[in-house]
Amino acid sequence: MSDPALTETGAATAPAPTGIRRRRSKRMKTLFPYLLVAPAVIYLLGITLYPGIYAVVQSFYAVKFGPWRPVGFENYANLMGDYQFWGALWNTFVIGSISLTIQCVLALTLAFYAYRDPWVQGWRIIFLIPMLFMPSAVAFIYKLAFLDARVFSDILIRLGLIDGNLSIQSSIWGSRALLILADVWQWTPFLFIIFVAALQGQDEEVEEAARLDGAKWGQIFWNISLPLMRPVIAVALILRGIDITTMFANVFIITKGGPAFGTETISYFIYRTGFKFFNFGYASAASVIMLILTIIIAQLVVKRAFRSGRA
Amino acid sequence: MARIELSGIQKKWGAIWGVRDVNIDIADEELIVFLGPSGCGKTTTMRMIAGLEDPSEGEIRMDGEVMNDVDARDRDVAMVFQGYALYPNMTIYENIRFPLRMRDVPKVDQDRLVREAAAMVELGDLLDRKPGALSGGQRQRAALARAVVRKPQVFLMDEPLSNLDAKLRQAMRIQIKHLQRQLKITTVYVTHDQIEAMTLADRIVIMEGGLIQQIGTPDEIYSDPANTFVAGFIGAPPMNLIEGRMEDGIFTAPSIRVEGLIRNLSGPVTLGIRPEDCHVAGAEAHVEGTVFGVEPTGDMTYLTINAGDALIEVKADRDYRSDLDVPETVAFDPARIAFFDTTSGQRIR
Ligand SMILES: Nc1ncnc2c1ncn2[C@@H]1O[C@H](COP(=O)(O)OP(=O)(O)O)[C@@H](O)[C@H]1O
Ligand SMILES: [Mg+2]
Repeated sequence: MSDPALTETGAATAPAPTGIRRRRSKRMKTLFPYLLVAPAVIYLLGITLYPGIYAVVQSFYAVKFGPWRPVGFENYANLMGDYQFWGALWNTFVIGSISLTIQCVLALTLAFYAYRDPWVQGWRIIFLIPMLFMPSAVAFIYKLAFLDARVFSDILIRLGLIDGNLSIQSSIWGSRALLILADVWQWTPFLFIIFVAALQGQDEEVEEAARLDGAKWGQIFWNISLPLMRPVIAVALILRGIDITTMFANVFIITKGGPAFGTETISYFIYRTGFKFFNFGYASAASVIMLILTIIIAQLVVKRAFRSGRA
Repeated sequence: MARIELSGIQKKWGAIWGVRDVNIDIADEELIVFLGPSGCGKTTTMRMIAGLEDPSEGEIRMDGEVMNDVDARDRDVAMVFQGYALYPNMTIYENIRFPLRMRDVPKVDQDRLVREAAAMVELGDLLDRKPGALSGGQRQRAALARAVVRKPQVFLMDEPLSNLDAKLRQAMRIQIKHLQRQLKITTVYVTHDQIEAMTLADRIVIMEGGLIQQIGTPDEIYSDPANTFVAGFIGAPPMNLIEGRMEDGIFTAPSIRVEGLIRNLSGPVTLGIRPEDCHVAGAEAHVEGTVFGVEPTGDMTYLTINAGDALIEVKADRDYRSDLDVPETVAFDPARIAFFDTTSGQRIR
């Protein structure tokens, strides 16, 4: 701001004389808004775009400790034949889709029963409590309760339901179930709140019209409320889906990808490749594939949900 | 086809009165209009008939059967909401079919009934659109079609025309009346528009402050108002209400003197006279005032006379013209004069 007249004619001197106004050059006028948001944009690009490009570039090199050695598509080619990579993709898909389905159905069901309840309307914020826990703390609680301290086994033994300790960590599906349980516990409330808000936002007259038309509550929900919620459900699914696809903390803390790589998610695979075997180029290639997959899936969901959700 | 009786109906939310005391007997096949200013309890009363709201006191009967505890779904009542309340995710066809689907009408009949209903309101070529792609009038007709399609016992319509422009409103008014006559379905119609009420109704129920002020045919309501509220609410411009005194059959108020009236009345009274029952007069004048306003409308001229404390509206001849503030005299048609108790506002007969 070299021009003093420019800086002084801020919003404070409201009825700015046109003479001073005219002095702000046309170019400055068009640039000004961009200048205002520039710091935030530069910062955001710095922490997302730069590492993103860095990873893409790196994925075409063999990067161990020494200098980078260009290898073309070798990393990608190797990934295609890496059964651990495919395994991790599969695990991510299995754990993610089951967890997402359960929490979505659970949250929708709860929302359906609760959204006209005045108590829920007043106190919905308390449903957010599980979300407020630090994810790693939740992970440790689950590790303690189900694996290390065997609280869960103990309870079942005392109830006389089983004879010995459950060995969850030696069962692939047991371990997957544990990851799913932890995720469902922590994130169902988030979806519940979103769905309740969406339902409460819907026109009550439309529901009343349906009632007079002879619809029962369940029919109103299936025929009207749910279809109208499509865009909201899509957004929630995408937010949660991206979160679940990149699931790391719980895997890292609770199962370490085991047993037999049965719970190794893509994030954990990338972490292991990069930070255990220091195969950075290879890990970058896996990240890039993951990124592309995520974007494609999100695009599909958004397009589908919003196109046919329109009135 | 149903007769509806409301007896001693009250509705209260905490300390807020929605409806204080409503007693109406609606005949089978009748088109009854609830008319009153905003907030007088019209919608609340209608919602109680529909079963969307439970009365705090009183009984709702249809064909003699008490309906208080019958669910809205089972009352066989169809409602046209003020905001139409069409299902935004469905096409117009699906909207109209919805009540049939919910009531398990055989699939083979559904299509025919939907098309009949759509044809009745001239909506045939819009069936594939969604409500969002329709104009206000088209949505209104879609809502109407959805209401008529299953031939309910009772129609309820809550200010269905209030979102439309004047021309469309008149067209739809005629359509609704025609439809009601054709289908012979008992109909309750809510409006705050007196023209709508006068033109549509078999009988009008005038409400104010959660209470019924008068029930009667449009003619009765217009020419025989039960109190000053009704007199002042109906008519455009409404009835002139002049506060004054009666003594020996002579009504007097500042600048006003009417002789030869009912003998047995004395003390303070309010005289009511409709603008079309006032005439610009020569010798036999009742009012001697000055011209306050002259508003020609083409087919007539609204003349406002300043008479002491009161402004008197007169529907004068279409050729009437005058300067302002010049003296003018007005005569009342004595047969059309009504008297009201000044304190209670009730009609004195
Ligand atoms: N759900 C409600 N809770 C509290 N007061 C209400 C409710 N619905 C309506 N009322 C009140 O009841 C009165 C009558 O309302 P309503 O029947 O909607 O009037 P209108 O004649 O304009 O349709 C109004 O004073 C309104 O504020
Ligand atoms: Mg209303």
